Amino acid sequence: MSGRAFTPGPVVYPVETDEGWRPERRMMLLFLIAGFCALLIGASIGPLQALNYDGVNAYPALRSIFHTYYQGLTVHGVLNGYVFTFFVTCGLLVYLPARELGQRPSMALWGACFGLMAVGALSLIYAMFDNSSSVLWTFYPPLKGSPFFYLGMTILTLGSVQPLPILLKMRAAWKRAHPGCVTPLVTYMSLVTMLMWTLAGVGALSELILQLDPWSLGLIGTIDPLINRTLFWLTGHPIVYFWLMPAYISWYGLLSRQAGGKLASDPMARMTFALLLIFSLPVGSHHQFSDPGFSQIWRAILVVLTMSVAIPSIITAFTLGLSLEYAGRMRGGLGLVGWFRALPWSDPSVAAQVLGALTFILGGATGIVNGSWELDAIVHNTTFVPGHFHVTVGSVTAMTFMGLAFWMIPHLTGRKLISRRIALFSVWTWFVGMTIFAIGMQWAGLYGVPRRAWVSALPHETYHALYGVAATPTALIAVGGVILWVATYSFFLVFFGTLLFGRRAERPAVPFAQALSGPVSHETGVAIPVATGHGASVLANRLEHVWALVGLTAVATVAAYVPILWPFLHNVTHSPGWVLW
Amino acid sequence: MTPFDEAFHASAERHERAFIVCVIVMMALLTVATMFYVVHDFGLVTTTQSFHSDPTAAEREVAAADTGRVVKTGPNSYAVHITGKAWRWTPGVIHVPEGAEVTFYVTSSDVLHGFEIQGTPVNLTAVPGVVGTVKYTFHRTGVFRIICNEYCGMVHHAMIGQVIVDARAAE
Ligand code: HEM
Ligand SMILES: [Cu+2]
Ligand SMILES: [Cu+2]
Repeated sequence: MSGRAFTPGPVVYPVETDEGWRPERRMMLLFLIAGFCALLIGASIGPLQALNYDGVNAYPALRSIFHTYYQGLTVHGVLNGYVFTFFVTCGLLVYLPARELGQRPSMALWGACFGLMAVGALSLIYAMFDNSSSVLWTFYPPLKGSPFFYLGMTILTLGSVQPLPILLKMRAAWKRAHPGCVTPLVTYMSLVTMLMWTLAGVGALSELILQLDPWSLGLIGTIDPLINRTLFWLTGHPIVYFWLMPAYISWYGLLSRQAGGKLASDPMARMTFALLLIFSLPVGSHHQFSDPGFSQIWRAILVVLTMSVAIPSIITAFTLGLSLEYAGRMRGGLGLVGWFRALPWSDPSVAAQVLGALTFILGGATGIVNGSWELDAIVHNTTFVPGHFHVTVGSVTAMTFMGLAFWMIPHLTGRKLISRRIALFSVWTWFVGMTIFAIGMQWAGLYGVPRRAWVSALPHETYHALYGVAATPTALIAVGGVILWVATYSFFLVFFGTLLFGRRAERPAVPFAQALSGPVSHETGVAIPVATGHGASVLANRLEHVWALVGLTAVATVAAYVPILWPFLHNVTHSPGWVLW
Repeated sequence: MTPFDEAFHASAERHERAFIVCVIVMMALLTVATMFYVVHDFGLVTTTQSFHSDPTAAEREVAAADTGRVVKTGPNSYAVHITGKAWRWTPGVIHVPEGAEVTFYVTSSDVLHGFEIQGTPVNLTAVPGVVGTVKYTFHRTGVFRIICNEYCGMVHHAMIGQVIVDARAAE
């Protein structure tokens, strides 16, 4: 046993020496604050939903805010799933590459991105809080919300693809200045993420612009439920990668440095992102295994593709584990687990990301269950599904973004965290609460407890007759939910406390990681990789051709969707809209 | 690179290759297992009976087939036609015999509903304008709940039906 031979304490970040970048820092901060404000509202509602599953109905007491459980749930899903993640990501995926490349982003476009998303989000909030649009975050027609909802959603989504042109412009300028060089890693990953998301957005945007917007405005009278559902999932599956890839960017691009080590493999990181781009688009209809209307053969093909999309995530787990092991060993950790203990656990940013990554073991494994068609028949639309994605987006993404905030607020504002202890406390309680909550949800799902159901509003006897068998798991859901309330508010205490009252201190620099192998560079010091000759990675070079990857993805997506949409397009249903809340 | 870096990197690369091979093999096996199960248990898979451009036509088709009764279609097989409409299933109570193969024809006449029979893998989206089918054999007598598991408005949680599996009458 190794004892405590390792160096304790957090890794000291380099101090920012470049005092420029003031407008970029301010804009990044704006994105961060907008995103986390959405999370504050969204995450405050979550525990009420958790209590609902244990039979505790808080909604009669909240009638002045939420007319129904479903209104609250719409707010929770939209604000957490779209608004929070989009704002943080669209800030990050411009700011980090700009700093890595040393290229100024187009502030006009970036500002437009913020403006569009803000207008979209406000319109959504208006439509949700006046109870005109309790359609949930999937807004399946023929449930019919108000035009403010669909137009808000359209504008929000249009805003969220704006980082793509900014990135392309910065990359082109950098390439002109560094002929024959491979795109630096963080920029590469950000670019692939935005390419993926822009392609994916075609589904929901065409659903919104061609169908739901005119329908809600009264320009068209009826709508086809299955076509719109299919278009929704064309975006709705890749969106999970739009949630995960920014977290992977932080893990690959920053975390190993924050932990005191290096990234184990730069070409592997690139390959992971290329695979995510290719495989995440064609598989959306695996959310429709339970729908009638399309062929069994295509369902089988979707299973194969869905299993394939797990591969890059499992590679990420490996590379991340390896990078952390390297960091732990550099800090003196010995033995089989000593390196893990030797990580800088007292740094809340590292703790948040490593704990978030740990929950992904549960999230990833249950994702494979959902993707397995026959197993999906058992868990489809039960609490198993939200149980699964709260240990993906609700932990991996949320905790990584929380971790980012812990270094980024000091970096952006020059204020020290008001309390490292409270920050650590919030991270650990989030980890524990989310794990208990997710296990409860998944377990309850196996008893057929449906998701999106105001079960606590049922008469007591009915609730017990239906869901009494799941008493233990539903109790876990409630316990996890209450712990998450504590976690949420302690996090926001640090977040807003630091913004308002943090002591002035030196600003830490962006902790860009160096790679153990392969080309990685950023403006500060590390040699810029060359595309040819000695030391160049063949893989990294091949993957530079992002447009070829885009073409391949587009072809695969068209090939996957034509056979699925074909029968729907030949059997259009003219459904009128319904307002049932 | 330091000697430690060199050594770490070399061993990492070896492990990485082995790991990727393991992952691909594992996912391939999982896929094969899923397919095998699908082929051998095909009845549980959602299939499509018919499409209608008028959403109420699907409801009429289901209703006309037999007004909510369980129809005997073979020596040991039955068919049930079910419509979901906010917020109830019609018929609300379905009696089927133990051990018989039951085919459910499910549609909706308003919004999406979810046809889940608790305690079984029966799980089918009820879509207006489309009649979907799923086959299942109940091997245990008792009451099974039909739970709507696709959000359909304010009283969605109370959209509950029943399948009552009766013991086989003595010959
Ligand atoms: C504060 C901790 C949280 C708790 C206790 C919580 C609880 C829940 C519960 C119980 C549900 C299921 C409701 C139902 O199906 O009836 C749910 C749904 C959902 N949650 Fe959370 N949640 C939390 C945080 C988050 C976070 C951080 C995210 C994303 C970043 C998130 C995203 C979602 C989404 C997208 C849904 C689906 C809504 C729907 O089915 O329409 N949640 N949450
Ligand atoms: Cu998916
Ligand atoms: Cu329902």
